[in-house]
Amino acid sequence: MKRLLTLAIFFVAACAAAAPAQTRGGGGAAAPPDTLIRNATVLTASRGTLEATDIIIRGGKIASVGKNLRAPDGARTIDATGKFVIPGIIDAHSHAMMDGSVNECTRSVTSMVTTRDVLNPTAVNIYRHLAGGTTAGLLLHGSCNAIGGMSTTVKFKWGHPASDFPVPGAPPGIKFALGENPKRTNFNIPGLAPRYPATRMGVEEVIRYAFTSARDYKRDWDEYRAAAARGVKNLIPPRRDLELEPLVEILEGKRFVHSHCYRADEILMLINLADEFGFKVKTFQHVLEGYKVAAEIARHGAGASTFTDFWGYKMEAYDAIAHNAAVLVRHGVVTSVNSDSDERARRLNIEAAKTMRYGGLTEEEALRLVTLNPAIQLGIDKRTGSIDVGKDADLAIWNAHPFSVYARVEQTFVDGELLFDRAADIARRPALEAERKALEAAEANRAPAQGGTPPRPPAAARRAYTHDDDVQDKEEDHQR
Amino acid sequence: MRHSQKRTLASAALALVSAALWLSAPAGAQRGRPGGGVDVYAITNARIVTVSGPVIERGTVVVRDGLISAVGAGLAAPPDARPIDGTGLTVYPGLIDASTSLATPRPSPTPGAPGGGGGGLAALLFGQSAPSAVSPNSTQLPGLQPEILASDIIRPGGPEIEAARNAGITTAQTAPRGNVFLGQSAVINLAGDTPQAMIVRSPVALYVGLNPIGQGQYPGSLMGVFSSVRQMLLDARRFREANEIYERNPRGLRRPEQDKSLQALLPVLARQVPVVMQADRAREIERALDLAQEFNFQLVINGGMEADRVAARLKAANVPVLLSLNFPRRTAAPSPEADAEPLRVLRERVEAPKTAGRLAAAGVRFAFQSGGMTTMTDFLANAARAVEAGLSRDEAVRAMTLRSAEILGVAPQLGSIEVGKIANLTVTRGDLFDRTRRVTHLFIDGRQIELRPAAAAAAPGQGASGTWSLSVSLGGSGNERQELSATLTLQQQGDRLTGSLQGQLGSGNVASGTVTGSDVNFTVPITLPAPASQTTDAIFTGTITGGEMRGTVQVVGRGPGTFTATRAGGAPPAPPATQGAQPSTPPGTRPQQQPPGGRPGEGEPRPRLTPTPTPTPEQGTTPPLDGQDLRTSN
Repeated sequence: MKRLLTLAIFFVAACAAAAPAQTRGGGGAAAPPDTLIRNATVLTASRGTLEATDIIIRGGKIASVGKNLRAPDGARTIDATGKFVIPGIIDAHSHAMMDGSVNECTRSVTSMVTTRDVLNPTAVNIYRHLAGGTTAGLLLHGSCNAIGGMSTTVKFKWGHPASDFPVPGAPPGIKFALGENPKRTNFNIPGLAPRYPATRMGVEEVIRYAFTSARDYKRDWDEYRAAAARGVKNLIPPRRDLELEPLVEILEGKRFVHSHCYRADEILMLINLADEFGFKVKTFQHVLEGYKVAAEIARHGAGASTFTDFWGYKMEAYDAIAHNAAVLVRHGVVTSVNSDSDERARRLNIEAAKTMRYGGLTEEEALRLVTLNPAIQLGIDKRTGSIDVGKDADLAIWNAHPFSVYARVEQTFVDGELLFDRAADIARRPALEAERKALEAAEANRAPAQGGTPPRPPAAARRAYTHDDDVQDKEEDHQR
Repeated sequence: MRHSQKRTLASAALALVSAALWLSAPAGAQRGRPGGGVDVYAITNARIVTVSGPVIERGTVVVRDGLISAVGAGLAAPPDARPIDGTGLTVYPGLIDASTSLATPRPSPTPGAPGGGGGGLAALLFGQSAPSAVSPNSTQLPGLQPEILASDIIRPGGPEIEAARNAGITTAQTAPRGNVFLGQSAVINLAGDTPQAMIVRSPVALYVGLNPIGQGQYPGSLMGVFSSVRQMLLDARRFREANEIYERNPRGLRRPEQDKSLQALLPVLARQVPVVMQADRAREIERALDLAQEFNFQLVINGGMEADRVAARLKAANVPVLLSLNFPRRTAAPSPEADAEPLRVLRERVEAPKTAGRLAAAGVRFAFQSGGMTTMTDFLANAARAVEAGLSRDEAVRAMTLRSAEILGVAPQLGSIEVGKIANLTVTRGDLFDRTRRVTHLFIDGRQIELRPAAAAAAPGQGASGTWSLSVSLGGSGNERQELSATLTLQQQGDRLTGSLQGQLGSGNVASGTVTGSDVNFTVPITLPAPASQTTDAIFTGTITGGEMRGTVQVVGRGPGTFTATRAGGAPPAPPATQGAQPSTPPGTRPQQQPPGGRPGEGEPRPRLTPTPTPTPEQGTTPPLDGQDLRTSN
C-alpha cells in the first residue's frame, strides 16, 4: 500500500515535472533530474535548523525533507555530510543583467520604462551570483527620478533565454526614489539643464502630481468604459498612457512600490502621501534611517531592505547605524539585507551574518534577512525563500556554515536545476583554456601585424564598495 | 554678323568640349552614341549566373536602354551594341547591399558638443547619435520622426558610393541615420545624376534604431527607447481609430489633431511597410520579435550576428534577416599588459562567418548587407569567408541578389538576369567567392560605370594617406608651451594606418594607427626637443576634413596638446616628393632634425583654431577614452 502510494506520488510528480520542461526555452532542455541531497545540516529559514537531514528534489520542487529518505529511481545523490544547505539567497535590490543604462534619467517620472525590456541573460554576473548562492533578485530601475521604471523579479537561470528569468506570477513592481538622487544633488551634469525637482519638497510634489494625474486618467477611462457600456456611439477612446498606467495599478494595489530612501523625514513623507492616496509602500530600500521611524514603518505595513554596514557615501547616508536591520526586525518590520551591487550580491550571507554581531539577531532571523523576508517583500514567498516541501527547489550547498567567512558554495540549484557546481567549474577550466588557445590562433583573433587600436588596458581595481543605483552605464555587461 | 559667327563658333567649341567630357565619362571611353540617349551593350562568351535560372556557361547578355533585353547561349550581339568580350568573365546580377545609409547626409554635430566643455561630457555620457534630417512641424523630437524619408534626403555621388560600386555593388537599401525612429528607407541604384534617378523603390521599410537620444531628452536609455516605441505605436493605433470614427461622422465630434509622425506609422500597423530593427545578439533579436508580436507588425532583423541561435523562432515568424558582413575581427595591437579578451569575444569572431550557413540550413531567409564596414572590399571577401564556413555558393549569390530583392520588394525589377529587368550587372574575372576575383565591369541602369579600385582604398577627403605638414602645440602655459612642426607621412590600408614622422619631434615610424570613418588614431615615438630631449610616445587622436586633420595629442610624460595638419596638395595619396617616404629608419640612427620651414609651405604651421585645453594634473598620460570597450566590430 505504502509502495503504491509512493508510486502514485511519483507519477503525479513526474507529470508535474513534464510541464515546466515544455515552457523552458534554451533548445528544449529536458527537466532536471531528480536529486537526493543526503545527510546535510539544513537551515530551513522557516522552522529552524535540521541536523543530518535529507532533501529530495523532484520536478524542480522540494519533494520531501526528512531523515533517511530513499532516493527516487534515477535520481542523482549528493552526499552532503558535513555540509550546510540553505535556501537560495534572494537579493531585494539588484541591477544585475541589464543592457544599457540602469537609469532613464531624462524625466522625473519614468514609470513607462521597464527593466523587463533590457534583460541580458548572458551577463557573467548571473553566474557569479549563483557562485555566491544567490538565486533570485529584484531587478530595479535606478534612483535617478522620484518615480522610476518598473522592476522585474527574476530567478538567475544562467544558460536560459531571457524569457525564462522572470518569476511566473510574481507581482509587478516599480522603483520610487526620494532625497538626493531624484533631486540631483550630486549629479549635475555640466552642459545639461538641471532637471526638476531640486529639493525634497519638489520630490514630494512630483509624486503627488503624478498620482493626481493617474486618478484623472483612471476616471477618464472609467467614464469612457461606462459610456461605451451604455451604447454611446462614435466614442473616441482616451489615449493609453504608458506612464500613468503603472500608477493606476499602484492605486489599485496591483503593483508593489519599492522606494529608495535614506532620511527619516522623507520616509514619513512617503508614508503620509501613500496614506493620502490609499496605497501601501511595499518596501523602503536602503532606508538607512529606518531605525528612527521603525514603528511608523511597521504601522504602515511596509517592509525594509537595507545595507548592513555600508554608509557615509553621501550626506544623507551619514546617520546610518549597523544595528538598523535588527532594530527594524525587533519592531516587527519585514526586513531584508540587499546588495545594490553585482559584487555584494555574491556574499550576502556575510551581510546577514553581521546582524548577529550588530543587534543580536538569532541565526534564523539573520538568515531570513536574505531568504524568506525578501521573498515576502517580492511576493514570491509561496514558492521560494525557505526549505519547505512544495516550494521551488532553489537552494545552495555550502562547505561550511554560511555565516562563516570561510564558507563557500559547492552547488547551487534553481528550480531543481544544478546551475552552479564548483567541482564541475574547476574541472572545466583546462578545456576552456585549451579552447582559448585554439581560438586565439584563429585568423580572426590574431592581432594585426602592424597598427591596430591601442590594446585594452587592464581593468581598474575593483572598489571595495559600490553602489549601482546611480550607474549610468554598466560597462562590464557591455563587454559581452 | 561677326558677332553671331563668333557665337556659333563658341557654341560649337563648347559642344565639342562637352562631347569630349561626355565620352570620357564611361570607362574605356570607346564609341559613344552621339546624343547619349540609348546605350546598347552586349557581353559575349561570358559565364552568366542568372540566379533565377540555371547558369549559362557560355552566353550573351544584351543591355538596351537601361534594361536587360536578351540573355542566352548562342545569341549574336546586335549590330548596334558595344561588344564586350566576356571570355573568362562571369556576369552576375548587380550586387545588392541590403542595408546601408549610403547617400544620406551625416548628422551635423549636436549644438554645443565640440569644445563647449559640458556638451562634450554630456555627449560622452549619453552617446552622440543624431538624426540625418529633421522633419518640419513634426509632433515628435528629432530622432523620433518616422515620417523622414530617405528618398527626400539622399544625394548622388560621393566617395562612399564610389567605394561600394568598386566592390561590385550596384544597388542598396539606404535608410536615414538617427536614434529611435530613423525614418523610411529606399532602394537606390548607386548611379544617377539626381536623387530621383537613383530611386528604385520608396518607401521600403521603417527603420527602428535602439540609440537613446540623450542630451537630457527622453529617451535617454535603452529601456526608454523601448517604451517610447511602444507609446508611439499605441498612439498611432488610437490616431487611426479616432480618424476612422471622425471620418464616418464628422459632425458633432472634435476633429482629431493631424500628426504626420503617427500618420507615417499607419502603414506599419497595417503590415504594408515592414519594420527593420537593429539586432545582433540573440536577446536583441528576441526583443524585436516580442515587440513585433505585441504590435503585429512585419519585422526584418538588421545585423543578425547571432540570428542562428534564434533561427527556429525567426523561421516560424517568417522574419527575414539582413545579415551583416562586417564580421568582427581583432583590431587591438598586441600587448602583454592588456587584459586578456573574454572567451565570448574570441568565440564570436570565429563564429561570425558561420551564421549565414546555419541560417540557410534552418530555412531562414537572409540577405547580406555591409553593416557599416569601413573597407568595402570586405563585402565580397567576407561573403567568401561565409562560403568557406559552410554556406553554399548558390545561397551566397542569392543573398546578394535575388533574395535581397525579394526581401526589399524589388524582385520584379532586380535581383536576377532576366529579360526586362533593370540592367544592373556585376562582371568579375574569377568566381565571386574566389580570393583572386576581380570586378571588371559594372552596369547600373544599363550604363557602364567606371571602376577605380584604387579610389576605394583612399577616397578623396576620406582617406588619411598622404604627406601632411604637422603642427603640434604642446600644453603648459607661458614658457612651457611649445609649438613644433614636422612632416607626417601616412599610408592608409583598409582601416590600418602606417607611416612615419620627421621634424622637430624627432623621427619615428607610426607604431599603431587606425582609421574609423574620418577619425584617425595613431601613436608615434618622438623625441622631445631640448631641454627635455627625451624619447617618448605621442598618441594622436583627430579627425580629417578634406585636406586638413586636427585633434589632440597625448605625449607620454608631458600631457595633452593639440595638433593640426594639412595635406600636401590638399587631397589624397600623392606619393611624397622628396624625403617623405622614409618608412624604415633603423633604430638608433636618428637623422638630423629638419630645420623648420625648410621648404616653403611645408614646415609652416597653420594657425590653430582650437584652443589648447588646460592640462589637469589628474589627466595623466592615458588617452581620455581608455577603459572604454575597444572591441569595435570592424
